[in-house]
Amino acid sequence: MDPTQFDREKLDEIIKNYQDKKWGLIPLLQDVQEVFGFIPPESIEPIADALQMYPSQVQGVITFYSGFSLKPKGRCVLKVCRGTACHVKGSRSILRMIKKDLKLEEGETSPDYQFTLETVACLGACFLAPTMMVNRDYFGKLNPTKVTSVLGEYRKESKEA
Amino acid sequence: MKNIAFSINGKNISTLPGTSILEAAIKNGFRIPTLCSHADLAPYGACRICLVEDENTGRLMASCVTPVAPDMKINTDSPRVTANRKNIVRLMIAEHPESCIVCNKGNRCELRMIAAQLGVAETRLYRMPNYKPFETMNPFITRDLSKCILCGKCIRADHELVGVGAIDYSDRGFASRPVTLHEKPLEQSRCTFCGTCVSMCPTGALSTQNTIFTGTPEMEKTTICGFCGAGCSLSMGVSGNRVVEVNPSPDTGTVNGATLCVRGHFAHDFLLSPDRLIHPMIRRTDEQGMEALQPAGFDDALSSAAGHLADIKRRYGPESIGFIGSAKCTNEENYLFQKIARVIFGTNNITSLGSTGSQALLRKAAERTMGDCRVSPLSDLENAEAIVTVLTDPDHTVPVAGYHIKRAVKKGAQLVVIDPHRSDLAAFGGFWLHPENSGSSKAFAFNAVNAITAHLIADDAMDHDFVKSRIEDPLGWMDAMADTDPEALAGKAQVSPQKIKTAALLLQNKKIAFVIAADLLETRHGKETLDAAINLALITGSIGTKNAGIFIPSIENNTAGALDMGCAPDLLPGGRSIADPQDRQAVEDMWGAKIPETEGKDIHGLIEAAEVGTLKALYIMGENPLRALPDPERVRTALKNLDFIVVQDIIKNQTAELAHVVLPAGAFAEKQGSFTNMEGRIQSFTAVVPPPGEALPDWTILAMLARKTGYPEQYTTIEKIRQEIRRVVPMYGALGSHRQVWIKPADSRNSGKIPLAPIDDLKVDDTDEKYPLSAHIMNRRWHLGSGTRTSRSARISASGNIGEVEMAPGDAKAMGLTDGNGNKPMIRIFSPFGGIERSVAVNRAVPEGSVFIPQGFSGNDAMHLVDFNALKPPGSGWRIVPVRIEKI
Ligand code: SF4
Ligand code: SF4
Ligand code: SF4
Ligand code: FES
Ligand code: FES
Repeated sequence: MDPTQFDREKLDEIIKNYQDKKWGLIPLLQDVQEVFGFIPPESIEPIADALQMYPSQVQGVITFYSGFSLKPKGRCVLKVCRGTACHVKGSRSILRMIKKDLKLEEGETSPDYQFTLETVACLGACFLAPTMMVNRDYFGKLNPTKVTSVLGEYRKESKEA
Repeated sequence: MKNIAFSINGKNISTLPGTSILEAAIKNGFRIPTLCSHADLAPYGACRICLVEDENTGRLMASCVTPVAPDMKINTDSPRVTANRKNIVRLMIAEHPESCIVCNKGNRCELRMIAAQLGVAETRLYRMPNYKPFETMNPFITRDLSKCILCGKCIRADHELVGVGAIDYSDRGFASRPVTLHEKPLEQSRCTFCGTCVSMCPTGALSTQNTIFTGTPEMEKTTICGFCGAGCSLSMGVSGNRVVEVNPSPDTGTVNGATLCVRGHFAHDFLLSPDRLIHPMIRRTDEQGMEALQPAGFDDALSSAAGHLADIKRRYGPESIGFIGSAKCTNEENYLFQKIARVIFGTNNITSLGSTGSQALLRKAAERTMGDCRVSPLSDLENAEAIVTVLTDPDHTVPVAGYHIKRAVKKGAQLVVIDPHRSDLAAFGGFWLHPENSGSSKAFAFNAVNAITAHLIADDAMDHDFVKSRIEDPLGWMDAMADTDPEALAGKAQVSPQKIKTAALLLQNKKIAFVIAADLLETRHGKETLDAAINLALITGSIGTKNAGIFIPSIENNTAGALDMGCAPDLLPGGRSIADPQDRQAVEDMWGAKIPETEGKDIHGLIEAAEVGTLKALYIMGENPLRALPDPERVRTALKNLDFIVVQDIIKNQTAELAHVVLPAGAFAEKQGSFTNMEGRIQSFTAVVPPPGEALPDWTILAMLARKTGYPEQYTTIEKIRQEIRRVVPMYGALGSHRQVWIKPADSRNSGKIPLAPIDDLKVDDTDEKYPLSAHIMNRRWHLGSGTRTSRSARISASGNIGEVEMAPGDAKAMGLTDGNGNKPMIRIFSPFGGIERSVAVNRAVPEGSVFIPQGFSGNDAMHLVDFNALKPPGSGWRIVPVRIEKI
């Protein structure tokens, strides 16, 4: 899906399931994020309207949780761990290397929406430090060669897609 | 419930369960510093400065969110408490920017005050100022969020009190702050600039935008807002005889509590307008033979006015003089004004411009309910179980009434919004009834209300006790009603029968509070719609009971007072009728003077009489007919035909330019007096600042004029006028005894039974093909009425609100008026009577086939579209005009 085009009909379909259920905000936002890959800012007002909330409140919830994003993300979202254990095991150089390879800074998405680079405070897999996640997959005991091969795999996938 | 016994600082206290420690402490005279708590907001517990210690357990807790518990031994000032409070303040200050030293809030900053009390100066902490962008683009509110301490008061005020929802927290931790949707500047958000959040903010994060540096006000004085019928209590900050700041008054039990609207909060800068009238003027011919208004002394100006008027009366009779009073002037002034007209000049030609709008509606509603709608506290509206709004959007007319409705909805009131336009209220959890086909049904509201009534009758869901005891011949009326089919009525309203049924079910067995557009009678079928609403109120027993009834958010602040004081051609003070010899006699006895027997002319009659030459002189107090009346050119020609015009006003205006004598008057904040608000609350106030230049309060000028004419009564003080009002107007018996008192209408239960109004089928006008759109000339919050005062507010002028004509997206598209880029093209609007130019904006809330033309903008040019004869009683609804639109 082209993340620069907002598909209102698709949104309305999701909203329909939650009409007037104020408690439904979080599951609704999760559905939206699942379908769109992010929460399009244009969707805030229709969502607020349906749940009879203020749009600013909906935005408050979205921005509170780091799991929600108002910006479109790449097909592959990299989460490089910068927690203590990984730091000790050299995650700083891992990150530097990935930045250089993808030509992305932290929080950035590549213009072709293939990669998004993020850091997190701990992935909860310290025994595998240094770690990172790509979408839902974990990668541990990283070293430069492993990073290059992982990135290469995902790049290949994206070419095929 | 059993009281809870505990102690604070050694004092034994017993209080209701659920009371917070803070509330109990305040009630018992202990002071606890707070930053995030406010009596009108739900407890929150964000700042922790209100810590107290329970000596039994050693626990520290935030007193504003902790309820009292048995045997607590609270210490509000233990060394541990103080030490912790100091730390909290140190942390807050470490995050604060250096600009603290030159902050606008200055010594009124609550953070600084608390820091000073605790003796925190140097924090000795690593400073981590939290720089956030500074926002000053709008002329009302400056936001410097680097000074935000995240107390959440602004957000809570915005959500809980005014129900706008413009702002909320964004992000977490250090990055969090109150922001608008998409972090746009306030002016691009749904913020209404009510300023409620500004008054609440404990620090300098939110402050009033001032065009000039004003410094901290030297003193604060309370008064009543001079704009709309809510009559909000204001606290005005004064510096060197200038009003430099306005906040809601801290008094309790006021109409508005901690809220205000954009006009009350920010538009009072019109008081400082260079257009204020500051000396009397007399029209004289100079050496070159040019006529012009020239400055004169008060004595000369008054002699000229008194002399000319006496002369005209002698030559042409009393009926040749007319008086236009004002719903913006005080009770005392309107009383004196009508008395001068009637007793000194012997004419009942006394009216006000509001007499065709809010005032007429109030009269009609009071007549039909036998006065039972005259006392209608907004707190009752807030506690109503059901609310029906009829063609009204109080968010724009009387915002504070709108806040009450929204708070009622939050408390669970059932709201039914009857309005073709999707107002904020319709979107705010109201059940919205509107014509469902495109092209609005012309008698929509009338038929929709009747359809609900018919439904309730068909379901036998009336208040039978009320119907039996209070309604005259209910059976006859119901028989007639029984023939009317709710479905047919729904069809005429273009609402699906199912929706009418739902509305009827929602309202069933509830006492209903009706909020009725103050300008209802200025729209087509207004009278019939009012009758329909009152019928519904009657059969549901919603009259004369608590938390229900008829609420009329009047546009002008003293609509009710001007009426009660007899500023009307057919009514004497206290609602007595000129046509009734007994009524007349009663007032004559009290006044010791004759009152003319014939009713005077209303505004339409006065202008017509000026045209044909039977009216020779007008005395206009506090009104600007050339801006406010339809067809200004016709009004101008009529006024020019007069021999003599006196204009007594606060501000230069088009009408004053035609005057022969101009008398400069003080605005509400510059004088003593009283206003009666839409609730029937009589609010007395004293001057905050003196009038500018040589201007004097209206009542002083009137008293001087009376003396000039040789009238024996000396009205040297407000109290003298009040004494007389208390005697002549029994409803006002308590006037002046306290700052706030209520009118006391006669008990309607003694005046017999109330008839129901017949429901006839309405003839709807055909659409004129040449003018296919229906324009509604309506109020937008930035201007009050015709905007003579608000257009002089530097802030309102700078706000960029230019009163675009609002159109439905479909119509705009069909006419090629949208380019998709949000540009606002210029258009010409033509009615059968005239044309104006405006830019146009798309508004989804506008129904197809309609256009909204905001009133008060561009010199109130919208009046050029209206035929003056639309004012001719009974009035054909001048606010709705057929128009056609051309792109420029
Ligand atoms: S802006 Fe003011 S009121 Fe709002 S959270 Fe910050 S400090 Fe509190
Ligand atoms: S000015 Fe009023 S509407 Fe605007 S953010 Fe503040 S409270 Fe809300
Ligand atoms: S609601 Fe009316 S009375 Fe209150 S501040 Fe606004 S204009 Fe003034
Ligand atoms: S620190 Fe990296 S996984 Fe815990
Ligand atoms: S006043 Fe109690 S936590 Fe702020």
